[in-house]
Amino acid sequence: MKQTEGKIGIREYVAIILLAVGTKLSDDTPTLFFSSAKNAAWISMLLTGILTLIPLFFLIKVFSVHRDKNLHDLNLHLFGKVMGNILSFGMLIFGFAALVLDSATYVNIISTIYFTKTPSIAIYVILMIVCGYGAKRGIEHIGSAAWITLFYLKTTLAFALIIAFTKGNAKFLFPIWGPGTSEIVKTAASKISIFADFYFIGIIAPFVSTFKEFKKGTFIAFVIVLIEITLALIIYVMLFDFTSIEVISYPFHELILYISIGFLNNVESMFLPFWLISAFIRFAFYLYMVLILFGGIFRIKEYEFLVPVMVILVIFLGITPKNATFTVPFLREQLLMILSPIFFILPSLMWLIAKVRGDFKNEVKKDM
Amino acid sequence: MFKLLKKLTGRKQKLNRINLKDTLEDQSNQKDQSVSRQIDVNIERIKKIYQIPDNKDVKVREFRIGGNGKRIAIFFISSITDVRTVEDSAIKPLLQETDMDAEIDKILSTQNVTAISEIKEVVTNINTGNAVIFADYETKAYAFECANFQGRSVERAENEVLVKGSKEALTEKVIVNLSLIRKRIKNESLIAESVTISERSRNEVFMLYIRNVADDKLVGNIKNRLQNLDVDAIQNLSLLEQYIEERRLSLFPSILYSERPDRAASFLEDGHIILLMDNSPDALILPATFWSFFHTPEEHYLRFFFGNFVRFIRVIAMFITIFTSAIYIAVTSFHAEMIPADLLLAIAGSREKVPFPIFFEILLMEAAFELIREAGLRVPNPMGPTIGIVGALILGQAAVEANIISPIVIIVVALSGLTSFTISDISLNYALRIIRFLFILSAGLFGIVGMTSLFAVGIFYLVSLKSFGVPYLAPMTPNYLSSGDTIFRRVITHEKFRPGYLKPTDMKKKSNGAVR
Repeated sequence: MKQTEGKIGIREYVAIILLAVGTKLSDDTPTLFFSSAKNAAWISMLLTGILTLIPLFFLIKVFSVHRDKNLHDLNLHLFGKVMGNILSFGMLIFGFAALVLDSATYVNIISTIYFTKTPSIAIYVILMIVCGYGAKRGIEHIGSAAWITLFYLKTTLAFALIIAFTKGNAKFLFPIWGPGTSEIVKTAASKISIFADFYFIGIIAPFVSTFKEFKKGTFIAFVIVLIEITLALIIYVMLFDFTSIEVISYPFHELILYISIGFLNNVESMFLPFWLISAFIRFAFYLYMVLILFGGIFRIKEYEFLVPVMVILVIFLGITPKNATFTVPFLREQLLMILSPIFFILPSLMWLIAKVRGDFKNEVKKDM
Repeated sequence: MFKLLKKLTGRKQKLNRINLKDTLEDQSNQKDQSVSRQIDVNIERIKKIYQIPDNKDVKVREFRIGGNGKRIAIFFISSITDVRTVEDSAIKPLLQETDMDAEIDKILSTQNVTAISEIKEVVTNINTGNAVIFADYETKAYAFECANFQGRSVERAENEVLVKGSKEALTEKVIVNLSLIRKRIKNESLIAESVTISERSRNEVFMLYIRNVADDKLVGNIKNRLQNLDVDAIQNLSLLEQYIEERRLSLFPSILYSERPDRAASFLEDGHIILLMDNSPDALILPATFWSFFHTPEEHYLRFFFGNFVRFIRVIAMFITIFTSAIYIAVTSFHAEMIPADLLLAIAGSREKVPFPIFFEILLMEAAFELIREAGLRVPNPMGPTIGIVGALILGQAAVEANIISPIVIIVVALSGLTSFTISDISLNYALRIIRFLFILSAGLFGIVGMTSLFAVGIFYLVSLKSFGVPYLAPMTPNYLSSGDTIFRRVITHEKFRPGYLKPTDMKKKSNGAVR
């Protein structure tokens, strides 16, 4: 039997992505799509997915010749020491901003929908302590935790969506092109960065036991996530119709408030724990990636000691925006806008440089 | 006259004082000698070490061999020695010997005779129940095995009760335990190595494994760990467990403790290592995963559906044990909208006269339950059941009538308390009971968010645990080739592989089907 110390298998890898990216359907990401693509948001989503395949393909291609390097090492290798570090630092800033904004969103969800009386800083502290603990345990254990909870989390999610589906009205999906094809394409192009996580996943690429599993896992997870989010968008429209869904900040939570199961009329608290666990794993993973990147740039081997600092930083930055319900989504949209072209172009650029440098020739030689 | 007497007594005291110079150093000096040619020197030495005749059960018998009249002395401790063997196979043949040149080891009719030349070894032999023979003009002593320690006979298992399957339990005698396990694995590759683990009491641990199945590295690692223990005495396996485990402060156990020989044997077959010891009616099985604590052997003895039904019940019971009380607190104090209106009114109605907050009420009742449980365990046997019933029934009833506790809380606590008994492993049982209190606390603080946070931390912790290099939740995650015996088990003919996380030398347990 092979020793898998410090490495994760394909199951754990897929589970992490499914939880980290798949959970986006339950925050305000759908609203970003609905606000411009209206009831055709799901088509936009599919289109985004197809567009994402291009940078994803290039990224995997680049990793295929640098199997033992993570994203930061790759940046250094391809762009040289100075540019590489600047690029990685930029990524760190974006990653950190995403972590702060997303966690602020989640805290806002909890404090506006479930715990209206609890001060949000208390919720934030709990959330980040748990995630910090998870991040400190390392990628293996985040992966394992993701894998053992995955089935239950996705089952309850499917359960909620199926119930909502039975209550929905399919006519709300029409006219099928919604606000028109140009609007759909525009939305798709500008929101491509919701899959930017797949770019950041390059940070943990060398931790996946083999490159083959990394490649296979990435594509499997990507397809599942895409289908999952698209279905969710369809069901949201069917349930709420596009006029009302534009003003709903968190459609998933509105959905579980809306449905009832048998004699239980208010089931939202039953879904809350499952959603929370996926949130914990998601942010533990984000935090871990940020820490690895930070450790890579500033050459800190014992990144675990950074956990408390990072956690405190996230809490204070995340709690700063006043009126989180409106500011945070606005900031998040700005971030996604900036990130979209970067995410689209950077992998291709990396591939191009690798090609020019002749890295791919080495691969052929190695194989021979 | 008086002076003379004084002188005499004074001399005696002085002499005594010299004799009493019995320091530790002196004692170990005595033991470090080798066997002398002079039998009197040897006899004196052993007598001094054992403080004969003060030490009542250490016996010495001196006589001459029948044939050549050589002086002989036999030492043994009568309470741990089979005196009949000593008489029949040593004293009798020696006395009746007529041949002039016969050597002692030729005369003795015992199963084995070992020649030893150090006093230290002599002492060790006597201590372990063997008899040692000194002969005049010989620089070696002869030891032969005739140990007979007293103990229970094989009895029924009491803590791991099964309906279907063998009823035998391990006993305090390691030889009996070995025999019980060898009865189940009749194979020459079952190895029982012995390791002495303590300095003073010379406690011996038997390490059992199947060669060609168990991973050599693991065997070496555990042997090394046992040999490197530096303590005076380790009485039994329960103490040894705490010495060799990796995380001594962890809530979750990392070594499985079982009193069933069939269980030990089946783990051996999978490539685990078993530790046996005198004075311990049980076996330590390592490495252990979470699943081995969760399982009982019965689920494999029962047919596929029945076994898995039991597992299913146990999973539910585990969740009820940990979560019921906490969920009750969380839902009633933070998420009251969740409860259907009628039930909510019923709960509110039953709590009308109760002056405490729900959190305190649950905590009170849980504490009472734990108290009754602990007390029930410690009261003398005949009174046990009575106390339990009085405690549970009367106390509960009275508490409700006195408006201290609402009846629903009694249901909740009784449910969570009773279901905890479905976890038969004592260590996991304790862990779950403590965890229950943590969940109650977190639910009281932050409702479902608090509980979920604790749960997530628990999951992160659980997956990061390791028992002798084996991940705690293997083979579920990280994934290993195995028979997939985790929450549910497979059809027995499909359980083809040994658990891969043990890195067994021989992976395959059986071919496609048991029947060909």
